[in-house]
Amino acid sequence: MASNGSETRKQFSLGENSLNVRGTSTSMKSRVSYCTDLEKLVLTVNFDKRGWVRVNPDDDWNIYWASVQTCRNLFSVDSGYRLHDNQCINHFPNHYELTRKDLMVKNIKRYRKDLEREGHPTAIRSKQGRYTHLDIIPITYILPADYNMFVEEFRKNPHSTWIIKPSGKSQGAGIFLINKLSKLKRWSKESKPPFHPQNGKESHVISRYIENPLLIGGKKFDLRMYVLVTIYRPLKAYLYKHGFCRFCAVRYDNNNHQDLENVFVHLTNNAIQKNGEDYNNVHSGKLNMESLKLYLETTYGKSRTDFLFFNIKWLIIHSLKAVSSVIANDRHCFECYGYDIIIDEELKPWLIEVNASPSLTFTTAHDRILKSKLIDDILSIVVPPDGIPDARWSKRPSVDAMGNFHLIVDEEYDDRGSNKKIREKYQGSRWR
Amino acid sequence: MDELKIKSIHFTAEKFANEITSIDAYCKFYAELQKTVASKSVTLDDFKKCLLESLSSSGMETDLRNSVFHLMRSIHNSQDVCSYKDKEPLEYLKKAQMLWEKRIHKSLNSMSADINSLSLARFRLASDRDEILEKWKELSTYEIDLTQYRPVYAPKDFLQVLLWLRNPNFRSFNFKINDGTWEFTHLSLKVKSFAELKILYGEISRGEPLIGVHHEMPSQRAPYPSLEAERIALGEKVIAFNHAPAAQEYLKKGAPLCIRARIWTQLLGSTVTPEREEYFNRLKQRVLQYDLVVDKLIIKDVQLTASNDPSYFVFEDLLYQIMLCFYRDTDVLSIFHHICATPIRGVLRGKAPTTKNSVYYPPNGIIPFHGFTMYACPLCYLYKEPVAVYCTFKAFYMRYWFRMHEVSSSEQGILALCLLFARLLQRYEPVLWMHFKTNHIQPVRVVFKWLMRGFSGYLAVEQLLLLWDVILAYDSLEVISILAVAILSFRKDSLFQVNNQQDVEGVLADLSTIRVMPLIQMSLIRETIP
Repeated sequence: MASNGSETRKQFSLGENSLNVRGTSTSMKSRVSYCTDLEKLVLTVNFDKRGWVRVNPDDDWNIYWASVQTCRNLFSVDSGYRLHDNQCINHFPNHYELTRKDLMVKNIKRYRKDLEREGHPTAIRSKQGRYTHLDIIPITYILPADYNMFVEEFRKNPHSTWIIKPSGKSQGAGIFLINKLSKLKRWSKESKPPFHPQNGKESHVISRYIENPLLIGGKKFDLRMYVLVTIYRPLKAYLYKHGFCRFCAVRYDNNNHQDLENVFVHLTNNAIQKNGEDYNNVHSGKLNMESLKLYLETTYGKSRTDFLFFNIKWLIIHSLKAVSSVIANDRHCFECYGYDIIIDEELKPWLIEVNASPSLTFTTAHDRILKSKLIDDILSIVVPPDGIPDARWSKRPSVDAMGNFHLIVDEEYDDRGSNKKIREKYQGSRWR
Repeated sequence: MDELKIKSIHFTAEKFANEITSIDAYCKFYAELQKTVASKSVTLDDFKKCLLESLSSSGMETDLRNSVFHLMRSIHNSQDVCSYKDKEPLEYLKKAQMLWEKRIHKSLNSMSADINSLSLARFRLASDRDEILEKWKELSTYEIDLTQYRPVYAPKDFLQVLLWLRNPNFRSFNFKINDGTWEFTHLSLKVKSFAELKILYGEISRGEPLIGVHHEMPSQRAPYPSLEAERIALGEKVIAFNHAPAAQEYLKKGAPLCIRARIWTQLLGSTVTPEREEYFNRLKQRVLQYDLVVDKLIIKDVQLTASNDPSYFVFEDLLYQIMLCFYRDTDVLSIFHHICATPIRGVLRGKAPTTKNSVYYPPNGIIPFHGFTMYACPLCYLYKEPVAVYCTFKAFYMRYWFRMHEVSSSEQGILALCLLFARLLQRYEPVLWMHFKTNHIQPVRVVFKWLMRGFSGYLAVEQLLLLWDVILAYDSLEVISILAVAILSFRKDSLFQVNNQQDVEGVLADLSTIRVMPLIQMSLIRETIP
């Protein structure tokens, strides 16, 4: 009976939401203004719903939903733009510390070393030299800087497959696989301009390819999870309940992945899959998180599934902690990241990359609802209860305001020590 | 009376003893038995006692008990209970079924004639065989032109047939001869009353705590933090016990996700054994050997249904394998021993049309219809291996789903389910029923496809599995009709707002937010109206 209620409640609470919004809209209409350079329906619908007024970037705006490029210009020294208290923006000035593939790797590596030096228990290593608890990314090197280290590692496992990605590009552009050193050498000669160690922009990352991904129905997939960070020091981050799995349209064969040329088998990016001929417009290869959990819990059991999702949370938290010291902790900023995670056969999650501007275009009706609700929930967390963006706000939203997000890390809370127990339990569970 | 009872038990036992010799596992069991008799643990002095002891300690007793249970559950039994000589006692339904079969056969034949006069079956060309073999695990890449194939029939065609059924012995004062296609209440078939349903679904109607009602329901027993934890612990015990009736009893309060797959296997006797794997492989060989017209129909069906479903598209490749093999499985023919339907026979080419020269077509005797694949889809969430999905799908189908596409008076048949739906709706939602009637809306037109597919493809996967739990636990399909009424009742406020068929369909189009167990429990907990 209770959940019958839940259906009604859902409808009811939707109604309630819109009431709230309407309530604020009447009084704030003239005061909250927004600005965006992304023509995305899921954004404008949510802004309009709140009764916010659209203005030009040069006008006085309260909230700016900007592309990464615009944001960079805004924060650059040349622009000289200073945000006032009632302004907020959807990126941190140097988010690339997390969202550029090479910098993320560098920061995570540094974070682990720092912890190790401190003798922190989470940074212990196994006999093979791998981090027991912080082995969250596949072995990765930055090219050309770490070329020699890569060769050394490759020689240890001469039959391994590696994936090369340009550090600064997204949506699967410029990605390819190699399993022979000769191929890498040929590529480095051909690629223009050739490697310049000094020229950071042209850097690539080369990662050990996850050769035993978890397959469902014989198909490979990755997870897209949404993480919202409202402040880095003390770190406060939220995880969105409704992520999804993106499936390759073509079957993946664990024993034979020699077909390195067929990118459809290996890459799950929607931008790439869309060009495949098997692409389906009804579901566009996306399976929701509930279905994934259902499948895993049924076929692998509850404790293993729970442990997987615990590890996913763990991975997200530590990737954020790894950059929290280097990111400019601007109180005007918040940022929603798209985490790409691959799960292997052992149900271990691997962080592949983090996107600063996860796609807000929708491919299906379900997708549209999901993304529109995502934006709604983000706005409800970052905007104070009185409906006006305010950098001086404590950034402590009520549980109701979090919607489908839940708080996964809150250092402010931890530091106050009021809940030391939780923290101990948290770290203790890695210690079993 | 007692004497008669003892006699009948004796008679039944004898019959089972006879039948059990014909099941697959018998040979192996017999060989094991002989080994046990010859083993050291059995002595001549106390032969009976120590034989029985060693049988129970080796687990053979459990196997035997389970075999008897599965035999009793299979429909052989129900035939006995009714002791009908005929498979269908009602002449007019028998006739209707015959006419319906004729129609679909004709439609199948004419379609294959339209398409470059293909024969229904032929040897597969070597090139085609190689391609299928190579792509066996990724049949979604097996490309054939299916534009000319269309489903032989869809649920709505079958509904039309059912709606035109007339009992020649019954004449109502209320409707004119041609106005009877509104619903089913004019058919005088026996269906359970609400009071009887309350007794049948005792655990649910008593309001006992069930899995799926509330997410965080507390446990009523000491050491467990939640109902789920309690059910998991109990479930593991039941699985270890390996006793099919215990599994059925367990399921009455619902199974947590991590327990369900194993409980279903135990309950349906669909464990994957090496023999079954071998059998599945043989079916695959037959797929490779013969090219059937139904292959295309079934591939088309997977494409039309599962491939476009946001929950099932992932399992497309798995489903091709399962369905193609299923259509080669002649075991399935055994259902026709006790149901009204008869499979078609095709005459071998160049032979005289006698029974001897004819074969069943398709080999499993079932003509695929639009949505048939949906009976298998939800099971893909339970098992990783194709053969495991296959075994459970086959057992499930042979126990329940075959009834969803035949005309029969069985209490478990689709006709009785429609009638039960209509009666419950009329009795317990009279205002809604009148609303439909006065606006000439036929609720059964919306509900029929739910019933026929057992809600597969309409409910969210997790909810669907909870519903199928109830079917298995009470060995009865009636819960499907109960749920259909409950959904209408739940949405009645919206239904009152609309006054035509199309809008009603709109209101009921999306069932993805429906929570099954609360609705079922809520409707069964209600007081009976005399």
